[in-house]
Amino acid sequence: MAVTILFALTAASYAISGAAYVLFLARGTEDAAVWAARALGGAVLFHLGFLSTNWIVGGIVPTADIHQALAVMSLLVVLVFLVSARSRKRLRVLGAFITPVTLLLFLGAAFRRGVGPVPEPVRSALLPVHVAVNVLGLAAFALAFAAALAYVIQERQLRRKQLGGLFQRLPALDVLDGLGFRAVMVGFPLLTVGVVTGTMWAVKINQGGGLGLSATQGFALLAWVLFAGVLLLRVAAGWRGRKAAIGTMLGFLCTMVVLVGYVIQDGALG
Amino acid sequence: MSRDLLVVGMSFRTSPVEVRERLAVDGKSLGEQTARLRAAANVPEVLLVSTCNRVEAYVGGEDRERTAHAVSAWLADKAGQEVDPYLYVHHGSEAVRHAFRVAASLDSMVVGEPQVLGQVKEAYSAAKSAKAIGTLLDRCFSHAFAVAKRVRSETEIAAGTVSISSIAGELAQKIFGDLSDRHVLLIGAGEMGEAAAKHLRKAGASLTVVNRSIDKAQALASQHGGQGRGLEQLAAELARADVAVASTASPRFVITPDLMKGVIKARRYRPIFLIDIAVPRDIDPRVGEMDNVFLYDVDDLEQVAQENLRARRREADAAESIVTYEVNQFEKWRRSGVLTPTIVGLRDRVRGVLEHELARTISRMDSLSDRDRKSLDKMLDAMTNKLLHRPISELKAQADTDDGKALVDAARRLFALDEERAAGEAKKDSVAPLQPARGRGKVS
Repeated sequence: MAVTILFALTAASYAISGAAYVLFLARGTEDAAVWAARALGGAVLFHLGFLSTNWIVGGIVPTADIHQALAVMSLLVVLVFLVSARSRKRLRVLGAFITPVTLLLFLGAAFRRGVGPVPEPVRSALLPVHVAVNVLGLAAFALAFAAALAYVIQERQLRRKQLGGLFQRLPALDVLDGLGFRAVMVGFPLLTVGVVTGTMWAVKINQGGGLGLSATQGFALLAWVLFAGVLLLRVAAGWRGRKAAIGTMLGFLCTMVVLVGYVIQDGALG
Repeated sequence: MSRDLLVVGMSFRTSPVEVRERLAVDGKSLGEQTARLRAAANVPEVLLVSTCNRVEAYVGGEDRERTAHAVSAWLADKAGQEVDPYLYVHHGSEAVRHAFRVAASLDSMVVGEPQVLGQVKEAYSAAKSAKAIGTLLDRCFSHAFAVAKRVRSETEIAAGTVSISSIAGELAQKIFGDLSDRHVLLIGAGEMGEAAAKHLRKAGASLTVVNRSIDKAQALASQHGGQGRGLEQLAAELARADVAVASTASPRFVITPDLMKGVIKARRYRPIFLIDIAVPRDIDPRVGEMDNVFLYDVDDLEQVAQENLRARRREADAAESIVTYEVNQFEKWRRSGVLTPTIVGLRDRVRGVLEHELARTISRMDSLSDRDRKSLDKMLDAMTNKLLHRPISELKAQADTDDGKALVDAARRLFALDEERAAGEAKKDSVAPLQPARGRGKVS
């Protein structure tokens, strides 16, 4: 009961915060930004309460299954955003992109709640590692996605010479580009570990059956390739700006497809 | 009449620059000129505002028409020509409104530009040090500065820059964020380019100038603490610049897509902001379609300026209503300021007349005791109070209305409260003995 209430409160706070951030982005009302941040702070508290109640009362470890993992991940996304926006006030507008993503991740945690635990063959010491790195990696990618989306919008406005209110409120291109790059740099090694551990199980389960890739695994690999491309081209060929931003966004969308796949199949890897 | 605020002046709306420039007063001689005007117009309070867009004298004095005439004569003398066709004259609340609008930059050529407030403040302190500021101008301009501040913080009138060079700077900041470790390249030694480069330099960027004549490049660069290079270095310099401002007199494109392709590779796709303010253009527009290249030409910048200006004008309505409200506040203060001396003056005048007549009568009676004199004195107090009870309570009740202003003026006129100098003439008319009245009566 308490868990359900906390869940509802968390989701509602995220929704309010997201709406206020969007209002701030569209209109530039300072009050909206202040209230958005307050609502987000409240959401974080409810969220923490939700997770710890689950853990202490329900005995559900945060890395137990995909739902809990999603709940932890969405909290991390917000924390990373709050910390980044603390030092740079101009990054506040990114809340309009990040908060809705967080809300979706968090709601994903409720989807088909209470489905059975992780199947036997997958249980191993590596499972918490697999979940933890993916959670952290996706939190970083979510931030990179928000920065990339803002970059693409800002760049478009600059090119079309439409310098209206939205343009005035978004951070400078270079700041967004740098933020996106750093976030991908952090997320990529984590994603790599996640994909490797995931593939190991896939091989184990399909013993003798070769490397039969499922759709989710395919997308996980595609995301990895995209992020690798973004980083490699950037470091080696100096690719940056719009192309890097689009690559980042596509990579994040692939990881989201993987997530949706997991949520629907509920942890089944086969 | 009580002391009234009067403004006599000309602005870019009413006069050509040829006339205004003859009247322009620089900051150093502002105080001296203010003092001169004050002496010439023979008024207690003067404030002289001189900017490239306006020359205005704000005057606090009694005789409106005489003062306006004296000020315009002084201006005509200074200009060495007829100025009346270019002058506007406002008085009373319209003069206050004018002062507020000027300080709040609502009457500026570029609405919302911030310089005018500084110029009015300068005029105020010059007039103050010339001891030409009395209560009226002091109160009016302190209020004007507060109005300007309010307009600035409560409306978006100053939002969005409207000069080409500051827009270029703002755009550069939108691309690169902090400009302090950025490099600016100035291509050609044109004046417009220099202005834009100066703006970017102020934001902290370093500067290189390339020009066909390397001497000219170095001369200009050394003025702004940069380096000069020959035009053959263009590609290499473009490769290391973040912002490039082109303003050469070249009839052909100086930066072509072919040149830029090499440059982009050499700069490893770092974004570059190109500003083309040359006419004919220096940069092939196709360059602007390349990835990580942002190209703005003069028309683009002008369009941004116009858009920002339109936005400011939309905000001007909100600013005007703030001004209207504040003018009313000021007028309220003024009415209350005139009311007290009027009431004091009325009592003085009435009691003075009574006292005078009583003294004349008493002088022929020698049997009066001190006690009798005291009761007669009390009677005078009672008569003054009874006579003035209704007029004074009416004046007070109407203080905040337009009627009240008319009543105060009427009372001052009917009882000749402003006629110190005219006192002699009044005596000739033998209406009432005015001289002994002033300042002796008891006032409660």
